[in-house]
Amino acid sequence: MLIEIQNLYKIYNEGKESEVRALDGVSLQIDKGEFVAIVGQSGSGKSTMMNVLGCLDIPTYGEYHLDGTDIGSLSDKQLARIRNREIGFIFQGYNLIQELDALENVTLPLIYRGVSVFDREDMAMEALAKVGMDDRAHHRPSEMSGGQQQRVAIARAIATAPPIIMADEPTGALDSKTGKHVLEILRDLYRGGTTILLITHDDGIAATARRVVRLSDGKIISDKQQEVDWE
Amino acid sequence: MNLWQAFKMAFKSIALKKTRSFLTMLGIIIGVASVVIMVSVMQGQAKKNLEYFEKMGENKINLYLYAWDGGESIQRVMDYCLSLNQYISGITPNAEINDTVTIQYGAKTIKTNDWDNINWDVPGVDPWSTMLHVYLGSEQYGVCNNYKLANGREMSYLEVEKTLPVCMLGAGAKEQLFGFTDPVGETITLNGDPFQVVGWYKKMDLVQMDNTIVIPHTFNRTMNNNYDMNQYVIKARDAQSTVKAMTLLTAYLNGMFPKDADGNRMNGNYDLGSDNSAAENQQKANLMQSLVMGAIAGISLLVGGIGIMNIMLVTVTERTREIGIRKAIGAERSSIITQFLIEAAVICSIGGLIGIGIGYVGTMIAGKLMSDVFEGIILMPEPFIAFGAFAFSVVLGVIFGMYPAIKASGLQPVVALRAD
Repeated sequence: MLIEIQNLYKIYNEGKESEVRALDGVSLQIDKGEFVAIVGQSGSGKSTMMNVLGCLDIPTYGEYHLDGTDIGSLSDKQLARIRNREIGFIFQGYNLIQELDALENVTLPLIYRGVSVFDREDMAMEALAKVGMDDRAHHRPSEMSGGQQQRVAIARAIATAPPIIMADEPTGALDSKTGKHVLEILRDLYRGGTTILLITHDDGIAATARRVVRLSDGKIISDKQQEVDWE
Repeated sequence: MNLWQAFKMAFKSIALKKTRSFLTMLGIIIGVASVVIMVSVMQGQAKKNLEYFEKMGENKINLYLYAWDGGESIQRVMDYCLSLNQYISGITPNAEINDTVTIQYGAKTIKTNDWDNINWDVPGVDPWSTMLHVYLGSEQYGVCNNYKLANGREMSYLEVEKTLPVCMLGAGAKEQLFGFTDPVGETITLNGDPFQVVGWYKKMDLVQMDNTIVIPHTFNRTMNNNYDMNQYVIKARDAQSTVKAMTLLTAYLNGMFPKDADGNRMNGNYDLGSDNSAAENQQKANLMQSLVMGAIAGISLLVGGIGIMNIMLVTVTERTREIGIRKAIGAERSSIITQFLIEAAVICSIGGLIGIGIGYVGTMIAGKLMSDVFEGIILMPEPFIAFGAFAFSVVLGVIFGMYPAIKASGLQPVVALRAD
């Protein structure tokens, strides 16, 4: 199993009147090479799920094994390595650094990885080319459309060729045409063997995934495999 | 991520956020420049205040002596002083001839203390600064008054004892009588009597001491109506000797002029004082002034520091998001802190250097504007002060510049990302 969580809880303001159980005893297993959509209404805990799975946040209780490693036992430094090498993130709000141009944004994870100066520009350009943004390498985020920014963000996520891509509402801020294009890229990655975790509230987008996990009030209410027409 | 990368990232960040970088620098520039200027002006003034004492000569004891029996007691005091030669390097009477003396050299005639004929109203001419004075002194007059020989020699003991007509010239007197020619060996006349110039002194930059002609004190009888000579100058070997000699002399003189039942001195009177104590008072006053100026400088540094702090803290939110992004894509905490540390250090160093530059220029401008006060002294900031202010600002800037980095990099990435 690539991802394995047991009885995971994420509780805010525990013990207080305002207690919120964003994740309420979730167990889930995801295998290598799966394309999983995590679906739910807003407030269902799906974003929290991604943050915890992506090591951006720590669970209150429960166990999380990533590729056999117990995440709870790792230091801050080791978590940074995992975020850098194992997981690529695509956020709804792109989260690009505004002062850096597209190429520099994509190069950033390679710098933190310690890739040599000579290789990383090529690698970043390659990633940009994969999302069709190589001709915009020297544009700043403010000079690009939302779809273009999201493609740059995807390029940044895949630059280090991580085995897992986590996308939180990647099409949420895009019109349907560019949204489709973004999903297309994710599918290509899936075909190349990358494990994809897609978080969305939109059933139409969830329909593109091979497996749909439905969350409500921090609990998994359904988990099913489905046939998809694009294969 | 290596250090070179961190440097490149820091420089990029500074260059891209010009307004923020500039505002941060501004606080440091103002702080450093104001400290440098203020402290330099203050030090210049302190130096000016002490200059007078340095020229007059330190370790100088002024003795006022008056004895009922005239010369006899005075001779005993002189002999006692000479016996203290481990503490005292010279003693001389220091008496001005208060009557008018007519000085002549060639066609030039100058009169001293000629109060009736002084024209006070010539514009641009200050009679005080050109007035000559004839002093009665011993062969140690130059040593005691801190003069340095320009040419020739001092008067000799025998010349003084035997009342030979020789004289020494101060630089001002030499200039008025001889212009640029060397006076050694020339003869001038004082009230018609010839005196041979045996030497002259270097310029002291103190008008009163430069416009001086010194003749053997033994001429008191013939040239000064045998007035009592009451003023003596004693030169001690160093500051410690000054104290020692003063203590011994006080005891000796107290024995010589004991007090009667009413507390009045008998046989005569004396007064003993040294410029060292005056110089010490001046130093104390300077210290007070330094403390006040130091406080003002400290406050301006503080104000500059608060400026730095504000601009750094205002950007915390913005930077927290950036740190969240960097963490999400795999930056380690140490990489982020290093980047911010370098960024703050570079901004603060550039600001500090500009501040020092402005401080130096400002100090020179201040020196020019106040050149009346600081005549002869060129104001220059001490490197130590400039460096101190610089270091303080950089440390302050780095601390506050790193604050958001340390705070935000410790957060879970998701928390940092949520900041807005």
